[in-house]
Amino acid sequence: MASKIVFGKWESISLLAVLMSTQIFLGFPRLMVEAAGTGAWLLVIYAAVLAMLLFAVISKLYSPFEGKDIIDIGGLAGGNAGRIITGSIFLLYLIFIVSVSLREYAENMRIIYLNVTPISFVEMFFLAGMIAGAFMGIESIVRLGAILAPVIAVGFFMITFGIYPYYDFSKIFPVLGSGVNNIFLRGFSKISVFSAISILFLIAPFLKTNKNFKVTGYASIGISAVMLTWSSLINILAFDYPAALERLMPVFQMARLVNLGRFFQRVESLFMIAWAVSGFLYLSAVFFFIAYVFRKTFKLEYYRPVIFPFATLVFTISLMPPNVITATRLEIDYFRNYVWIISFVLPIVVLLIARARIKASKTGGAENA
Amino acid sequence: MPKKVCMLLVIFILCCMLPGCYDRQEVDDFAYVIAIGLDKGKINILRLTLQLAKPTVIGSGGGGEGGGGGGGSDGSEATTTIVVETPSIFSGLNMANNSLSKKLNLAHAKVMVFSKELAQEGIERYINAIPRTREIRPNISIAVSTSSAEDYIKAVQPHLEINPAKYYEMNYQTFKYTGLSINNDFHNFYSQMKSTYQSATAVLAGVNKFNSAEDFSLQSSTYDEKGRPYPLEGDFKAGDMPRESKLKAEIMGLAVFNGSRMVGELDGHETTMHLMVTGEYGHGFITIPDPIRKDYTVVLEVKRSRNPVCSVDISGERPRISVKVILEADIQTIQSGIEYEKPENMKILEKAYEDFLRESIIKYLKRTTEEFKSDICGFGKIAKAKFLTWDEWERYDWLNRYKDAEFNVEVDFKIRRTGLIVSTVPVTLSKEKEAP
Amino acid sequence: MAGLKDTLKRLLFFREPEKIEKFILKENSTDRKIPETSITNDDLQNKEEQKNREKNETQNKKKNEDLLLKNSGKEKQDAQKNKKKESEDKSEISTSLSDNLEYMKKIYTVPINGDVVIREFKITFKDKTVDAFIIFIDGMTNGTVINTNMLQPLMLLSNLNIKDVSEGLEEHIKNRLVPHNQLKIFRSYKDVIDQINFGGCGLFVDGIDVAYAADAKGWEHRGVERPNTEMVIRGPQEGFTEVLRANTALVRKILKDEDLIVEDIAVGKRSRTPCAILYIKDITNDSLVEEVRKRIKSIRVDYVLDSGELEQYIEESSFLPAPQIFATERPDRVAYMLAQGRVAVIVHGSPFALVMPVTGTDLVHSAEDVYIRFPYATLLRLIRILGIFMALLLPGFYVAITNYHQEMIPTDLIFAISASREKVPFPSVVEILIMEVSFELIREAGIRIPGPIGPTLGIIGALILGQAAVAANIVSPILIIIVAVTGIGSFAVPNFSLAFAFRIMRFAFIFLGAAIGFLGITTGVFVMGIALCAAKSFGVPFMAPFGPRTAGSFANQIIRAPIWKQEKRDDYVNPKDIRRQAKISRGWIKRSPGKEGKGGK
Repeated sequence: MASKIVFGKWESISLLAVLMSTQIFLGFPRLMVEAAGTGAWLLVIYAAVLAMLLFAVISKLYSPFEGKDIIDIGGLAGGNAGRIITGSIFLLYLIFIVSVSLREYAENMRIIYLNVTPISFVEMFFLAGMIAGAFMGIESIVRLGAILAPVIAVGFFMITFGIYPYYDFSKIFPVLGSGVNNIFLRGFSKISVFSAISILFLIAPFLKTNKNFKVTGYASIGISAVMLTWSSLINILAFDYPAALERLMPVFQMARLVNLGRFFQRVESLFMIAWAVSGFLYLSAVFFFIAYVFRKTFKLEYYRPVIFPFATLVFTISLMPPNVITATRLEIDYFRNYVWIISFVLPIVVLLIARARIKASKTGGAENA
Repeated sequence: MPKKVCMLLVIFILCCMLPGCYDRQEVDDFAYVIAIGLDKGKINILRLTLQLAKPTVIGSGGGGEGGGGGGGSDGSEATTTIVVETPSIFSGLNMANNSLSKKLNLAHAKVMVFSKELAQEGIERYINAIPRTREIRPNISIAVSTSSAEDYIKAVQPHLEINPAKYYEMNYQTFKYTGLSINNDFHNFYSQMKSTYQSATAVLAGVNKFNSAEDFSLQSSTYDEKGRPYPLEGDFKAGDMPRESKLKAEIMGLAVFNGSRMVGELDGHETTMHLMVTGEYGHGFITIPDPIRKDYTVVLEVKRSRNPVCSVDISGERPRISVKVILEADIQTIQSGIEYEKPENMKILEKAYEDFLRESIIKYLKRTTEEFKSDICGFGKIAKAKFLTWDEWERYDWLNRYKDAEFNVEVDFKIRRTGLIVSTVPVTLSKEKEAP
Repeated sequence: MAGLKDTLKRLLFFREPEKIEKFILKENSTDRKIPETSITNDDLQNKEEQKNREKNETQNKKKNEDLLLKNSGKEKQDAQKNKKKESEDKSEISTSLSDNLEYMKKIYTVPINGDVVIREFKITFKDKTVDAFIIFIDGMTNGTVINTNMLQPLMLLSNLNIKDVSEGLEEHIKNRLVPHNQLKIFRSYKDVIDQINFGGCGLFVDGIDVAYAADAKGWEHRGVERPNTEMVIRGPQEGFTEVLRANTALVRKILKDEDLIVEDIAVGKRSRTPCAILYIKDITNDSLVEEVRKRIKSIRVDYVLDSGELEQYIEESSFLPAPQIFATERPDRVAYMLAQGRVAVIVHGSPFALVMPVTGTDLVHSAEDVYIRFPYATLLRLIRILGIFMALLLPGFYVAITNYHQEMIPTDLIFAISASREKVPFPSVVEILIMEVSFELIREAGIRIPGPIGPTLGIIGALILGQAAVAANIVSPILIIIVAVTGIGSFAVPNFSLAFAFRIMRFAFIFLGAAIGFLGITTGVFVMGIALCAAKSFGVPFMAPFGPRTAGSFANQIIRAPIWKQEKRDDYVNPKDIRRQAKISRGWIKRSPGKEGKGGK
């Protein structure tokens, strides 16, 4: 089944760009401002450059493994044990991020307009979308993403351009924000913002060629870097530095501010659609990969039977944090600070081990022959 | 496969029906609040005034409004007011809800009015309630009332339209073509309240205290402080205008805040200067005594030509701020008939205006440093650009240094158009009795 | 009980998918192996039957011995019957005329079956008199053709002296005696009967073991009229009729291409409905044609009467809210799509032709878009897409906004809505359901109201009913506008099937919007989007070229480029020849060097 699905460049780029950019709609701009003050946009650019460098390293290491995904390479590196370890780490990482994101999206919906509805009811709608997407397979999710990604981008840009009366370019001064130390040294862990690149390593067999792989990686990091930088920049321009630390969902507040004339105001509910759609794409894609990674790690034949059990698992885990602050803190403090190890370091380690093994077996074979 | 999907769908729909549709509220289940007023309470901390709209009257075209033109001030009004004494805004809403059949909805509130007393005590605790709730929108206007908020809100019974919300929206935009007030919406107010480089301002609103034209008096006008023989259009604050009409609510002037406490008021003329310095001035009529014949007046319609050029020099002990305001004007009225359209006379007129405006701006800026000690024009923005990191900026502590600032003001004034008349021909008359 | 248990089992446990390869339209058609495919369905059916039989036997051994015996007995009887019928069907025509006559009379139940006519006569051959008879169905045949082209020559001309009489009677009749332009020779009864059933005239001659059939079609039928459903202003005004040959002629008249192949297939065991598969040999992908052929051939039904039935039998998913086959009444549309590399099927007796494969954007095109200039076509397409969105989402949005997102409505409007809703006793959802259901009722009833009142009553009825409902305070006035705009939006969609599907889906969106506001509507859009993106129409993904991005097919999808830019055929159909216009399709643009004049493009 896997070998028959092929993605084109546009689909995979838009999938990865959506995966990396949906955090804009959650709490990402505030996170950057917290880390670097008025230099938040600099921090994003710096993180993007670092991520591209690391990706360059990884894609160079990847060249002999054309068309294999990271779990297969884990299998090459350490045999069965290696495959299971790599797969389980990815599985845990994906389950964690899906549960936390599901909870965040549902909580945000509740805060915005559904005050009284129980959280499980709201989550059920997201779950319905996730299960439908996972059932139909990654192809349909990716195709829908290819169609909807420009729509989401256009909606986002409309919000940011719509608040132009509130722009004040003096707000980005002082330029370096909380200081060089904060931005460049402590900001290293912010490459976790681009952690969705690890999904690229999972869809490598669908991309077939190394060239596609590289182009997809660079293009998606580039596009999402532009979106993320733009959102941080607008966050500072429209809201002030200390005041911007207070808001839970900066992009929603921006949408509320849009007030061009007596008629074009109050349009945040329309933008909520763009945001909900990006949430659906993100959640269903990552959820599909949970089932897919599970299947690959334990060499099962079908992935569809595991969808329902995993859905229940994710639902339960997402209800565990007692309030929205702990849920967001979980994502920000633990996840965004440490996940770069899983996204970037783990693939590098696995690739190095696998390459070493291949070389050893080749030289061993050459000697024998 | 499709049977499975059907069963799933049925289960899904049943699950949807189990909890019921929370949060589903019909449009007519809400009572819409248009204006919120906050006063110091007599028996409790806060006195909350809520002005509710009556959709049946507004929506059906204000049926009884035409019949009530004679003097009807009750019965078919488009609004109704509720006053509650409460410890905080939301507990007041809770209490008020008990007397109403519909749920109070703040999403269409247009203005939040604080009374002068309350503002002088500090409104931080009330302003903090607003950003957290999703109901109140961030472009609600903030106003400070010279009388009590309750009186101001009750006095708003619009005559030119049926929808009082429209009155608020449009009235607070008049600064664009009069220049005698401002419109600081909540988002800006809040940012300025919490910013390190600008202080907050709010428009002054009030209830006109003259019941008939006979009662007009110039007691509270600021004209003689300025040494003028008669008050110009801006020498008043809200509530003091010599105006008589059935609509007693009016706005003019500015309330100056330091942090979240009100520290002073500016009258209409100074508000114009404020708008010119911050670059928000649209256009309006400015009247000065005729430079050649002092007993006549000249009226020009002055417009903002370009944004003002400000620069701040922080190298010395005291910050030195230089402001250049660039304006252009059209001649509106020349009462004396002197031909100011001629280039040499035009220069005299321009110079007169430049001097007049420059003096007024300097006076106004001095007031902000000496009397109010708060930077309401936002010069701190420009100073901030000179620092590299936030910590350095915070150590510089602009808000405390502002009071020592020195100013250098320049006004660039050009008359561009003269209306339809190019030159005035003098009036002819026959000689009256020869003077002996 | 067993059914419920089965359903639960199927619901809770996972069922392994069948190992059949689903049809995907590949680039090269040489990958497909032809003989394998035609057996698969049969094999599968047999396997299932076998499984069932085994299950029955093992489970019900003890209890239902009688039943088992009865079953197997019945099976034996059925098998015998089948064999008999086969042997009879495949039987050859006998040389004895009386046998043939008796057999035909039996098959056609002649004295009871009133319109089957048997005419016996004699032919002279080599100074011998030979008996013969013709058999035809009155009303289906053109009497003049039978008289002049069969009876007359056989009865009269056979008496003439023909110079060269060296051939046998069989050859003689075919070569010289029957001056008819379509004469066929058959050896088995079944073939002759098929011909007679479709307006042919069968000829049996004593002493010959073959029969002849001549085509003498001549029944009453509708002439070529304007198409009823697809009206255009600029473009041909001919529509298909119910006669197969007339329809294929209409298409051939437009294409005039010798590579246009019209393949005949008969569908339906009893109805033997003639169908034609049309395709252009050197443009269309062979595997596509093969797939169409395979699907049509494998239908096992008694009667297939209309192309609508055929469409439902060969489409991939019956549950998708969008059609996967395109039905059209216009021959010029069919010709255009054939030139794009698609396959058309025309069914006898139906004025609608089927074209496949189809993608989402084809359902938004109308025939006129090709004939008018490109900005007008673009504007019309955008309006149609707007119509689609409104037909699907407008009531859902109204319910979601007024129930959950009241802060989105401008202040003036909200007072107006609030005032008008004050007197209405129902919640918005109930209001809108009442109005939508009544609108659908009026629409359905309007089809059957006789005479000139019909269409007028539909519109006026809706308006007056709406006004009366508002005056009676049952609904609020803004709702009438919403329902009317929704209805008009659904009429703006050019494809009838799609409009209908969306008319049904909008109820789902009303419920979703009422359940949880915009989140519900977004869920609905997402799930529907996923279902549409996963759908395939004859191996082509439904949302191509937006779904899988295919190269260079955007000149004519939503925004139409000028006609000289329409250089390539749609890539997702994988045609053999992708280019349909030269790069400079307008030869007059190039001017020879040295001549004065405007520079060309």
